[in-house]
Amino acid sequence: MGTSVQVSPLCGVYNENPLSYLVSIDGFNFLLDCGWNDLFDPSLLEPLSRVASTVDAVLLSHPDTLHLGALPYAMKQLGLSAPVYATEPVHRLGLLTMYDQYLSRKQVSDFDLFTLDDIDSAFQNVIRLTFSQNYHLSGKGEGIVIAPHVAGHMLGGSIWKITKDGEEVVYAVDYNHRKERHLNGTVLQSFVRPAVLITDAYNALYTNQTQSHHRDTEFLDTISKHLEVGGNVLLPVDTAGRVLELLLILEQHWSQRAFSFPIYFLTYVSSSTIDYVKSFLEWMSDSISKSFETSRDNAFLLRHVTLLINKTDLDNAPPGPKVVLASMASLEAGFARDIFVEWANDPRNLVLFTETGQFGTLARMLQSAPPPKFVKVTMSKRVPLAGEELIAYEEEQNRLKREEALRASLVKEEETKASHGPDENSSEPMVVDTKTTHDVVGSHGPAYKDILIDGFVPPSSSAAPMFPFYDNTADWDEYGEVINPDDYVIKDEDMDRGAMHAGGDVDGRLDEATASLMLDTRPSKVISNELIVTVSCSLVKMDYEGRSDGRSIKSTIAHVSPLKLVLVHATAEATEHLKQHSLNSICPHVYAPKIEETVDVTSDLCAYKVQLSEKLMSNVIFKKLGDSEVAWVDSEVGKTGSEMRCLQPMGSAAAPHKPVLVGDLKMQDFKQFLSSKGVQVEFAGGGALRCGEYVTLRKVGPTGQKGGASGPQQILIEGPLCEDYYKIRDYLYSQFYLL
Amino acid sequence: MASSSASLKRREQPMSREGDQLIVTPLGAGNEVGRSCVYMSFRGKTILFDCGINPAYSGMAALPYFDEIDPSTIDVLLITHFHLDHAASLPYFLEKTTFKGRVFMTHATKAIYKLLLTDYVKVSKVSVEDMLFDEHDINKSMDKIEVIDFHQTVEVNGIKFWCYTAGHVLGAAMFMVDIAGVRILYTGDYSREEDRHLRAAELPQFSPDICIIESTSGVQLHQSRHIREKRFTDVIHSTVAQGGRVLIPAFALGRAQELLLILDEYWANHPDLHNIPIYYASPLAKKCMAVYQTYILSMNDRIRNQFANSNPFVFKHISALNSIDDFRDVGPCVVMASPGGLQSGFSRQLFDIWCSDKRNACIIPGYMVEGTLAKTIINEPKEVTLMNGLTAPLNMQVHYISFSAHADYAQTSTFLKELMPPNIILVHGEANEMMRLKQKLFTEFPDGNTRIMNPKNCESVELYFNSEKMAKTIGRLAEKTPDVGDSVSGILVKKGFTYQIMAPDDLHVFSQLSTATVTQRITIPFSGAFGVITHRLGKIFESVDSSTDEETGLPALKVHERVTVKQESEKHISLQWSSDPISDMVSDSIVALVLNISREVPKIIVEEEVAVKSEEENGKKVEKVIYALLVSLFGDVKLGENGKLVISVDGNVAHLDKETGKVEGEHEGLKERVRVAFHRIQSAVKPIPLSAE
Repeated sequence: MGTSVQVSPLCGVYNENPLSYLVSIDGFNFLLDCGWNDLFDPSLLEPLSRVASTVDAVLLSHPDTLHLGALPYAMKQLGLSAPVYATEPVHRLGLLTMYDQYLSRKQVSDFDLFTLDDIDSAFQNVIRLTFSQNYHLSGKGEGIVIAPHVAGHMLGGSIWKITKDGEEVVYAVDYNHRKERHLNGTVLQSFVRPAVLITDAYNALYTNQTQSHHRDTEFLDTISKHLEVGGNVLLPVDTAGRVLELLLILEQHWSQRAFSFPIYFLTYVSSSTIDYVKSFLEWMSDSISKSFETSRDNAFLLRHVTLLINKTDLDNAPPGPKVVLASMASLEAGFARDIFVEWANDPRNLVLFTETGQFGTLARMLQSAPPPKFVKVTMSKRVPLAGEELIAYEEEQNRLKREEALRASLVKEEETKASHGPDENSSEPMVVDTKTTHDVVGSHGPAYKDILIDGFVPPSSSAAPMFPFYDNTADWDEYGEVINPDDYVIKDEDMDRGAMHAGGDVDGRLDEATASLMLDTRPSKVISNELIVTVSCSLVKMDYEGRSDGRSIKSTIAHVSPLKLVLVHATAEATEHLKQHSLNSICPHVYAPKIEETVDVTSDLCAYKVQLSEKLMSNVIFKKLGDSEVAWVDSEVGKTGSEMRCLQPMGSAAAPHKPVLVGDLKMQDFKQFLSSKGVQVEFAGGGALRCGEYVTLRKVGPTGQKGGASGPQQILIEGPLCEDYYKIRDYLYSQFYLL
Repeated sequence: MASSSASLKRREQPMSREGDQLIVTPLGAGNEVGRSCVYMSFRGKTILFDCGINPAYSGMAALPYFDEIDPSTIDVLLITHFHLDHAASLPYFLEKTTFKGRVFMTHATKAIYKLLLTDYVKVSKVSVEDMLFDEHDINKSMDKIEVIDFHQTVEVNGIKFWCYTAGHVLGAAMFMVDIAGVRILYTGDYSREEDRHLRAAELPQFSPDICIIESTSGVQLHQSRHIREKRFTDVIHSTVAQGGRVLIPAFALGRAQELLLILDEYWANHPDLHNIPIYYASPLAKKCMAVYQTYILSMNDRIRNQFANSNPFVFKHISALNSIDDFRDVGPCVVMASPGGLQSGFSRQLFDIWCSDKRNACIIPGYMVEGTLAKTIINEPKEVTLMNGLTAPLNMQVHYISFSAHADYAQTSTFLKELMPPNIILVHGEANEMMRLKQKLFTEFPDGNTRIMNPKNCESVELYFNSEKMAKTIGRLAEKTPDVGDSVSGILVKKGFTYQIMAPDDLHVFSQLSTATVTQRITIPFSGAFGVITHRLGKIFESVDSSTDEETGLPALKVHERVTVKQESEKHISLQWSSDPISDMVSDSIVALVLNISREVPKIIVEEEVAVKSEEENGKKVEKVIYALLVSLFGDVKLGENGKLVISVDGNVAHLDKETGKVEGEHEGLKERVRVAFHRIQSAVKPIPLSAE
């Protein structure tokens, strides 16, 4: 009857591994997120590799490695070729995140899982949507509508709603119900009773989230305390996600306090990141867009933050205490790792973690309690080749080149022989002085040959090396040269072409330095050495992850109260905890599948469509209740011309039905209502409400749940025969609609 | 088609048999350009598109005909773009009328709206006494305006709407509104041609049922962008080369940015022009640059790619002028100044100075509103009236090169052909142009399935849409799909325009509503023997089952399987039941009975004879009551033969058989009403069946 829905996790269940889930809706396979971790372990992607080619669409939710890191690799190596859907910021910032990851990796290792070109081509075909845009899929997915909605957590971060035939599947991971400086809170609460909710239990056990302004004060105090004693502060951050919030906090605080300590934001793509973020105002919080609308203040015109894209700039910066935000948050690679190693042994310095490090990374190790005194770090560095090595390399390259050329020349020879065969006669007269030419070749030796070989290979038939000359023969007819009218058409696009190509190659905006870094092909090698780093600097961790905490997760899920719930992405304990909690009080169908375990969450809902005849509707009197209207209908299925069933009024008197009281009684509200009517009312023990002198009112059966997922409310009113009794009963009735 | 305008205020319109009525009424921009404002109402939902002023008038005269509607009934107000003729009466409408709905526009529109209107207020202060609103009103209106992103779907009171890129100016949108499945597209001003910075208007994914479309350009065809840019730059180049001055009166925002982009690029490519200054004399445009620099995402790919190298809106050869005092008129130059219509202000001041020199040139780059000087000089009169009232010869060359980003005929007709809307409503165009467009469109859609209308202001277009209401039966009620003739009974839940039918037990599953059962328990003092109650109840009620309470061992009775009567102690009995009207009634009668026993009222001796007699009497009484009720409902009711009742209303006659409830007659409506009335009367008069299965 209903739409068939299957969920099978590919990665990231019962642990904190990256997220990647396969959801199949009536045979149409969605890949929800395509994440990887900072260790880039290909074994994590094995389940994905088995299904990659069957995926029909990819939905991305956040612009960080955990949510989209594997996209380039999967597209290149695993045969993933489905269209990708994401919001504009997720697309842009995700791209920059991947650039940063690649460049950081490339600096310290012979990273070859994917290249910049792979990143570009993976992101080239992303279909960009705006929040609440209902995108109708076509082709195989006909009838499916997807829509991203605000998730909080990161700029552009989305929860996805997939709808087919009125049945909703909601995928919501890493959402944040709280409004932040640059982001609005999630709109997840506005979804009611979806058929399936796929959500994470990541923070299910984590509840002690401090109030945000307390946390901010503490955060800023900690930083300024260290700065004032002359220490440096390092914040390992992600490339383009949560760091934006931190930048805003620091920026605001610095302008309020007029601090002179410099703040540096150091990633390989920092300036591009901020340039893009400046044009993403419509994706940010209401207060940011409002301030722009009224005073044209772009919140990301950072006055106190210096954007750096290489470490030398930081080294050249004036000495003295400073705050540096550098990627990667895991300290596994990137500038943050280098800086950490440099600064770790000075007790005045501070390393401030704003999120829990990924499992098995240096950051996670440092966050353990008590923090380790020493850490063993393998530092790798890419150095340009020099001296003998360079010579050896060049020779090697030359040899390769020569070999290639030789091969090419052999091939070319064949070709030229074939194509230029008949022309040989015409080229004959050009051989002027065979001997001299030969001498030239001979005397100049290999160098000369190199130049020639690089561009072309002279036809072996020619006496001397010369550039190929092709006679441009024009066609003639009796009116003269044949004209191709297309050559004379003014092409509008031509005017734009120049500009189009200016940015062209590296898809998107990247400043020249970064670009040159990317295109740097100087011979280099990676050298590594192991260091023992003494950790004497302060290590502090504060929660700026921007995720809802356990309590809010529970209340959000309870409010959404899905018919079926699928839990993913959390430690085994957290998953189990939330599963039990949900089973007890939210809904009876909770699933927590293991990797590659397929759960069928097809709703057992029966439904059919009917047409409501005008005759029937004119006799229906609706009663308004909240934002919906209800009425009782007694009807008969009648015939219509089409295949539709049509409901018509009953021909005969309808059998009386059992009356239904519709409404949601909240004891607290009812108490106020009664006291407003002049009834003396108070709560007695056990949730009972004493009204007047004798009458008591209580809810019996399972209580305390929102949405009444477990069934109708049971209310018991008791008292002696007296006037009050009937009065209170009337008041009680007034809270309900009788149908 | 035309209806009296007053009827708009009456919301209770008689229901048409063909379907629900949809009304579209232009309150402005009907057969005119300026003060766009289109009212639309369908199934009790009301939408207003745009809220502009007519720039050629001032004060109240510039407003759309707001008196024709009741602003408090409007649910949603949608603004397509920031131009004065589309947005400038918004502060007035929000602050000075009873409007209490919600207002939406795009991010860029909202950002520029404020700057533009603040400027408008400042500029018009000079010439207008009766201000429609002041800066304070504008600031207040900012809080009420909500933003919508392109393609984002918003739902308000069951009205769903989203917007598409419209080209025209930065942030311009076309709105698609969906009310109960009927889709209406309002294009606002749109252009299907991509230019230097804007994208072309999108083609909506769905075909609308009604397309309200602008007709500014009428049947004109635009020159290709390439040619008109060349004409523009050629005129400027030759004028300045001869030592003349070029005046470009242009509205500060929108086209002006496009022209500046062209000029800057042309200057960059022609180093010989570098010594000739270009000015744009608009502090407003300068302020809006920040907006242009930010909403790059709303522009086309060309700009986005340029943005990668340097911001194209940071001009290299163009400088800003704040007022005429800063301007030194010493030689050839190019000045772009507002207002575009040369009504007053900087552009007019320069025009007055330059108009008599034949070396100078004036390029009018866009649409001219009727009644403005720009429109006058396009016909190249010999003389013009200056601002100081004197007349001067018009010697300067006047060129009209349309950069107007309005769709031309080719664009409009292809756009409509792609969409194939069954109803087309033309607005925002001069009456003659509109008529010509209408005629020409008729030839394009000759099949007769397309209606094309061009209502005047306040003239309503009434359309009827089949109101096929669909419901989805879900849950337990839908376990078995019914066949014809089966009955379906359940709770009908309406949310927005979607209907669901479900069993009461499923209510909490599929909606946010929940059901409740109320159990009542009252205790009554009674010190007699319980057996007395049993006996008495047995006399009155048909079904009384006695049992014993398991816990206390005391006797209990269950009356009609609804109410449990229990002896609580020597002195009390208790009644317990689950609330519903019938049980409440049964319990009330039990209470009365028990109280009567307590009061020791003499026993009523029921005699059989009396009972029979009273039954006859009852029968008569019932007939009397039925008759009286029917008279009160239908007036003329007579007793006919065979005990039938003859009911005549307005010459229609129906015969009612009192025994069977059958109704015969000619008129279907009357028959139905009599049948329903009789059914209700009967259920009120006849005893209630006690078993409610």
